[in-house]
Amino acid sequence: MKDKIKEAFGQIQAEDPLKSKTKAFVAQKMQEHAKPIKRQFHIYAVACTCMLLLLVGGCWLYLTPTSEISIDINPSIELSVNRFDRIISVNGMNADGHALSDTLDIKFKRYTDAVDQVLNSEKITALLAGDEILTITVTGSDEVQSAKILSEMEHCAAKHKNTYCYSASCKDTAAAHDAGLSFGKYRAFLELQALDPDILPVTVQGMTMREIRDLMEKLCDDCEDEPQTDSSGQGNGHHGTHKGQGKKHGEE
Amino acid sequence: MRSEQEVNRAKDRYSDTVRRLCMIHLKNHADTEDIFQTVFLKYVLSSVAFESVEHEKAWLIRVTVNACKDLLKSFFRRRTVSLDAVMEQPAEIPQDHREVLEAVLSLPQKYRDVVYLHYFEDYTAPQISRVLGKNVNTVYTLLTRSKQMLREKLGGDGYEG
Repeated sequence: MKDKIKEAFGQIQAEDPLKSKTKAFVAQKMQEHAKPIKRQFHIYAVACTCMLLLLVGGCWLYLTPTSEISIDINPSIELSVNRFDRIISVNGMNADGHALSDTLDIKFKRYTDAVDQVLNSEKITALLAGDEILTITVTGSDEVQSAKILSEMEHCAAKHKNTYCYSASCKDTAAAHDAGLSFGKYRAFLELQALDPDILPVTVQGMTMREIRDLMEKLCDDCEDEPQTDSSGQGNGHHGTHKGQGKKHGEE
Repeated sequence: MRSEQEVNRAKDRYSDTVRRLCMIHLKNHADTEDIFQTVFLKYVLSSVAFESVEHEKAWLIRVTVNACKDLLKSFFRRRTVSLDAVMEQPAEIPQDHREVLEAVLSLPQKYRDVVYLHYFEDYTAPQISRVLGKNVNTVYTLLTRSKQMLREKLGGDGYEG
């Protein structure tokens, strides 16, 4: 039976027309299959490029600073703020500043929370208790944002003793880093230089803000609204020929 | 996707096998053509890496059987299939061979694959069980019963057990 079945099935073979039709059919399908893959690849390539551009663009937007907040006592630190009001970098501008910035975990926080954390840190609290002066200087290319930040910094500073806020233009503070100073200290240096043109940046580099303020007072013979050393102040700083005027607040 | 060269090689090697499987499952030549093309298209598009010629053949047999079953699920099935309906040129087949083929086609569906793979392709029961995904004892039972049924249909003359 096996042989008979084998012989019988042996008669069955794929006919030539069947094979030719199949060959043509498969060839056509292979071509069709290749084209969509190329089209799909195109779409994926464009989509990937767009996503990459969005990612790069997004990173650039997020990581580009639009304002700077300079906090100076003698530790001097600068906080870079992006367009989303987030801290994107924390830089110590002197040895004490580096030491202070190492203790801070404020990156990517909102600037109000970040500055609060700085002002409430152990080091700063101790310095302010020891009658040092702290200045917060706001500068930036985005004037609207800078004004908003300054307003909030003034509100923040009101809770602390001997803390003053100032604004400074980018143009005026452009040379700060070249002079080895933070924006805040450079603004103070310019004020000092207006009173004594012989003052050099190097003179101010090692001085605390208290010392700079005391020197200004000494040089300013006709200054009448000197802030009391034991009063907390909200300063609306003006870059120019006169020192920042402080509004007194409750704490003494 | 496989190359055209691979496809042509597979077609040369396995066309007859696929054709025979179509014959024992399907009811007409149009369906045979449909499944024949489907099987080789699946072969082209498949990414299976075949370990050997036997593996490749077993894969094609499995794909063909499954494709035929899927096609038949959508149609009303007749119990018997006429050879004339599935063959393009049935008149060319000698009479005694026609009788044998018709006897096989008259078997219930589940016996036909087993009969073909055992008697024509010389597969053992364990090999058939792997190809068709059936239990090996089931395959032995199917072989035994199909043998009995074929003997009854074809008579005992000249048919060894």
